[in-house]
Amino acid sequence: MDVWHVTWFSLATAAGATAVALPIGVPLAWLLARARFTGRSLVETIVSLPLVMPPVATGLILLMLFGRRGPLGRALSWVGIDVVFTWKAVVIAMAVMGLPLLVRTARGGFEQVDRRLEQVAATLGAGPARVFLTISLPLAWPTVVAGAVLAFARALGEFGATIMIAGSIPGVTRTLAVAIYSYAETGQDRAAVALLAISTGLAFAALWGANRLAGGSRA
Amino acid sequence: MHVAAIVAAVLLAAGAGPGWQAPAPEPITVSAAVSLTDVLQEVAAAYAQNGGGTVRFNFGASNTLARQVVEGAPVDLFISADEAQMDVVAKAGLLDAASRADLLANRLAVVVSPEHRRAFTSLRDLLDPAFKRIAIGDPAAVPAGVYAKQYLERAGIWEQVQSRLVPSASVRAALAAVDAGSADAAVVYRTDTHAAKRAVVAWVAPIWEGPRIIYPAAIVKGRPAAAQARRFLDFLRTATATRIFEKYDFIPVESRPR
Amino acid sequence: MVLAFQLTQGEFTLDIDERIEAKVTAIFGPSGSGKTTILDAIAGLRVPSRGTIAIGDRLLFDSSASRNLPPQHRRIGYVPQDVGLFPHMNVRRNLLYGRHPGSSPPLDRVVRMLEIEGLVDRRVPQLSGGERQRVALARALMCGPAVLLLDEPLAAVDLPLRRRILPYLQRVRDEMALPIVYVSHDRDEVRMLADHVLLLDRGRVRQSGSPAAVLP
Repeated sequence: MDVWHVTWFSLATAAGATAVALPIGVPLAWLLARARFTGRSLVETIVSLPLVMPPVATGLILLMLFGRRGPLGRALSWVGIDVVFTWKAVVIAMAVMGLPLLVRTARGGFEQVDRRLEQVAATLGAGPARVFLTISLPLAWPTVVAGAVLAFARALGEFGATIMIAGSIPGVTRTLAVAIYSYAETGQDRAAVALLAISTGLAFAALWGANRLAGGSRA
Repeated sequence: MHVAAIVAAVLLAAGAGPGWQAPAPEPITVSAAVSLTDVLQEVAAAYAQNGGGTVRFNFGASNTLARQVVEGAPVDLFISADEAQMDVVAKAGLLDAASRADLLANRLAVVVSPEHRRAFTSLRDLLDPAFKRIAIGDPAAVPAGVYAKQYLERAGIWEQVQSRLVPSASVRAALAAVDAGSADAAVVYRTDTHAAKRAVVAWVAPIWEGPRIIYPAAIVKGRPAAAQARRFLDFLRTATATRIFEKYDFIPVESRPR
Repeated sequence: MVLAFQLTQGEFTLDIDERIEAKVTAIFGPSGSGKTTILDAIAGLRVPSRGTIAIGDRLLFDSSASRNLPPQHRRIGYVPQDVGLFPHMNVRRNLLYGRHPGSSPPLDRVVRMLEIEGLVDRRVPQLSGGERQRVALARALMCGPAVLLLDEPLAAVDLPLRRRILPYLQRVRDEMALPIVYVSHDRDEVRMLADHVLLLDRGRVRQSGSPAAVLP
């Protein structure tokens, strides 16, 4: 019973995190692929950080930002929004961890789009936004989707940052990964193994799908 | 007629009618060490049955929990697996200092794989060469590991067993190692032995000999549900709660002012 | 048309200073001489280090005045060397992509001029080489440009086909009142289409004049 709730909660938050990451990550990937602007290397590096830093460290930074004492946390609590220890924290942690994968994958897709096509579109009167929406994005679509699926899979498996900023509150912020840890720690092996099987199955399906999509675009 | 209706309405509103419900008390969030997961959930169930409110638990490693409180996470009550982490929160000025008290104590135990089953006469029996791999929590990271190291040092056998030690990510992992057969013995909390599948208890550290393992509890300052947190903390000292703690082999500490 | 600018890319520098009144100007020269770079600069796809680019009375680029009109505002019709049809759209959507309600010619006029009526609903991969050229030309015309830039439009097309497409280019030249800048390395084409020729070599104009004068 609890197993299905945890699974549903993880799928919902991972989907939410992917939905949050997409409007930020896809345009960013395009900018990094095409535009030359001051601070570009800095942006590239910051976006990639969650990939190489220990997730717990990333979680700590998020906690310092969104906790009651942090700049974002304080601003949000004036508007009556609390992040830490709620599902919002889960979504944020997942989005932050999945964003680099989305950006890196999508960027590769955009770089493969023939630059000439974008240039011709510009001469035909399309501004950068229209070029992005009508030329770059449709042509890079399979790779962008693959990036989104990867981000989703990463979000599903996210543990270190989530547990720091969302805690491990049964029924409120317990994702698959957190629940597996918790059950394993308290010796409830059957529940842990059941969740493990579900988790592995979902990750497998997501990665397999992502590979098919990215490979399909090369065909 | 109108007066009677008004009076009746007032009486109903005041609770004279049937089905009167007390307003639900605010739920509280309790951050507690992972080793307390099972026992606290049972205690919270008893609390609810006794008219208490909803308790939401956030179980984790004590250093992570302390960090969360310091950064302003919405925690009402903090129960730590060691005093060092409670001190971290106290130093940040976030504890209701008067509420801080030692709640529970624990003891160390040595478990061994069934093939090496025996009853120790002292901790020194661990020196037996049959115990080629001894799992403990990582002394660099985990309170249980710190306590294990303290205990071995005080018994004067730390140097001799050091080469045979297998540091594990958590004390439960150390126990699991013996269950799986990848370790011959492990130093764990006595309260962990319930979860053993194959490992058997060979030794329980006597209270006067083992390290002082204390779980302090304190209310976090300035929270709206402080009164409810106080109610729960008080419940943890009642006979009902004490019985549950003892059932899991935790040792309730007598309430005294710090 | 005023093309007076310098553009450096790596080791290559394009330095040009020409004022052109002709209807069809051909840029003739060996590969690597900078022909495509000139078109890119006019279109705003590459930015010169300094200089001026103007078409008629419209100033597109002026480094001394910090003026650099982005490509989408320059009203340029560009057919690149690899044609550049949008593969994910059918011919109709390609044609209508740059349509500007105010200044675009009617679609059927352009379609008829280039004889692509039957192709309008086809998908790009289904088109032959010659069909693609005509569709790309039509697309460039459909944005109602102030100038037409053609980069070796017949280079990838075999000889018999070239003979058949040339009349379309002449038709465009004659029926649309547009200045055309035409890059080619084929003398015959240049003689049949151009009024004025710029002979380009390693980034500089070596000769400038009528086809008869420049290309013996």
